[in-house]
Amino acid sequence: MRESVAPNSPAVAIAGCGVTSAVGRGVASLRTAMRTNQSGLRACERFNGPLFQSNIVGAAPLAGVGGDLDDPAHQLATEALREAREQAHEVLAAIPETRVGLVLSTTKANIEALERLADGRPCSTAAQRHLQSNPLAADLAAANGASGPVQCVSVACVSGLVALQQGAKLIQRGVADAVLVVGVDHLSAFVVAGFTALKAIDTVGCRPFDRDRGGLSPGEAGAALVLARADLAPLSAIRLLGWGNSNDANHLTGPSRDGSGLALAIRRALDSAQLPPSGIDYVNAHGTGTPYNDAMESLALRAVFGEHCPPVSGAKGMLGHTLGAAGLIETILCVLALEDRWLPGTPRLVFPAEGAPASLLIEPRSAARLDRVLKLNTGFGGVNGALILGHE
Amino acid sequence: MNSLFITAASLVSEADVRAARLGSRFGRLDLASQLALLAVEKLAADFDGLGRERVGICLTAAAGSLSTDAAYWNGRAGVGGPSPTLFAYTLPSAAIGEIAIRHRLMGPNLCFVGHESDALSEAAHLILRGEAAACLAVFCHVVTPALAAMIQWSPAARAGALLLQRLDTGLHRWRENDRDIAAMCSLLSAR
Repeated sequence: MRESVAPNSPAVAIAGCGVTSAVGRGVASLRTAMRTNQSGLRACERFNGPLFQSNIVGAAPLAGVGGDLDDPAHQLATEALREAREQAHEVLAAIPETRVGLVLSTTKANIEALERLADGRPCSTAAQRHLQSNPLAADLAAANGASGPVQCVSVACVSGLVALQQGAKLIQRGVADAVLVVGVDHLSAFVVAGFTALKAIDTVGCRPFDRDRGGLSPGEAGAALVLARADLAPLSAIRLLGWGNSNDANHLTGPSRDGSGLALAIRRALDSAQLPPSGIDYVNAHGTGTPYNDAMESLALRAVFGEHCPPVSGAKGMLGHTLGAAGLIETILCVLALEDRWLPGTPRLVFPAEGAPASLLIEPRSAARLDRVLKLNTGFGGVNGALILGHE
Repeated sequence: MNSLFITAASLVSEADVRAARLGSRFGRLDLASQLALLAVEKLAADFDGLGRERVGICLTAAAGSLSTDAAYWNGRAGVGGPSPTLFAYTLPSAAIGEIAIRHRLMGPNLCFVGHESDALSEAAHLILRGEAAACLAVFCHVVTPALAAMIQWSPAARAGALLLQRLDTGLHRWRENDRDIAAMCSLLSAR
């Protein structure tokens, strides 16, 4: 299914990145974690108690945790946007604000406000406003010099990849020259109790693709990328080369057992990037650490790549599952990998599961060739997303 | 075959949900998913003829999933804690999954929290880019009385669906920024 983009549609490049996550503030902290295979998962006393299966989570260094922080979603998104805009300063300086858009990716926005309202705890007007994701998007756009189109995307755990696609489409459609794509979800009792109810949490911390894996670890992050018309960005900027999406049409909370839906999304992405499977040098997997997801993802990779699967790893043992931020922070990891020609490992993976790709990376290492990367995410509702990025 | 046409349209309310007979699973869905699923059902679309792998779904949930969020969180003190079933519907995009499962639609999906016109415009662009052969644009707005009391909004429970196809004729030709379509969205929103 080839994209029928007009021949003069501009290429889209990544001009800046910003992140706050379980491994610290700033892209530099993510790069260090990638280089050293560090895990940011740790015990957090907020999640002690009978509502929670485990207190091992990926908590970001938010100011005010344990105090009275009532709008963590806004804080995480703002920090990430500040860094991404600083990185892209020269590109953004040449573009009028009316030609800068913003796409927000989130699943729960500022769900902290709902918990506070339900408990009768203090909650500021702004925090209540950000319980809804579209006012959060509007406020972030107004505060960050984006007077162009604003969208708020929420497609479960594929939200980040879809938000990147939407940002690129706004540029290719000619309604923006740059788009701030920001993803955020914060740790909440609401979400951790929900995954506990589904018995989906690994009590010792998630171990993607491990034979003993027992589920995911909730995480939180703010992650932002500045997309820009490639002719306005530095020549060396990493580009979005293609994407594909699909639905399993199978189950609301579980992936298809045979991986056919995700395989369809990957094939659509390859077709859109006009690449054969052998054109991919590295796959950054969704890798939640749940038994069914990782098995399904392994089958999908086998269906597309056969016995010649490129190196594969997953980042959720490093960051936790950051939901609406996951696709964006993991894409930033891919950008760093491409810039450094460095293959990330899979933190917390010890014994690869039977059926996992033979090319699964436990430890990180340098790569002789790393030009094209495939990023995957899947989510509740059977949604699958695949994004290909790389050098020009 | 270069024009996009809306070939089917529907509007449903909570009363329609109460009268619906869509099997036992339907009763287990949250209200937003019930409304959205019923709106698509009322289109009576021939998905076999369209090619189910190439039918996309674009959904706008004007109030996100906040009503279901509130119901789920209000149940946290119950026996066994919060409901795992309800937790699965605390995503604005949950209705997309239900529509895809019922009609076995494997095309691309988009979900927005915001104005109804987002879904229609993006559905059209999915077809124009060649990512989908046809696309459902679904609008859903649910504010239960419990949520309305909490956040001072007006209660609402309605959904609408449009089927967009590349054809020579249909109910309405799609044009970007079309005032008739904007009026249709307003009608859906105000009903």
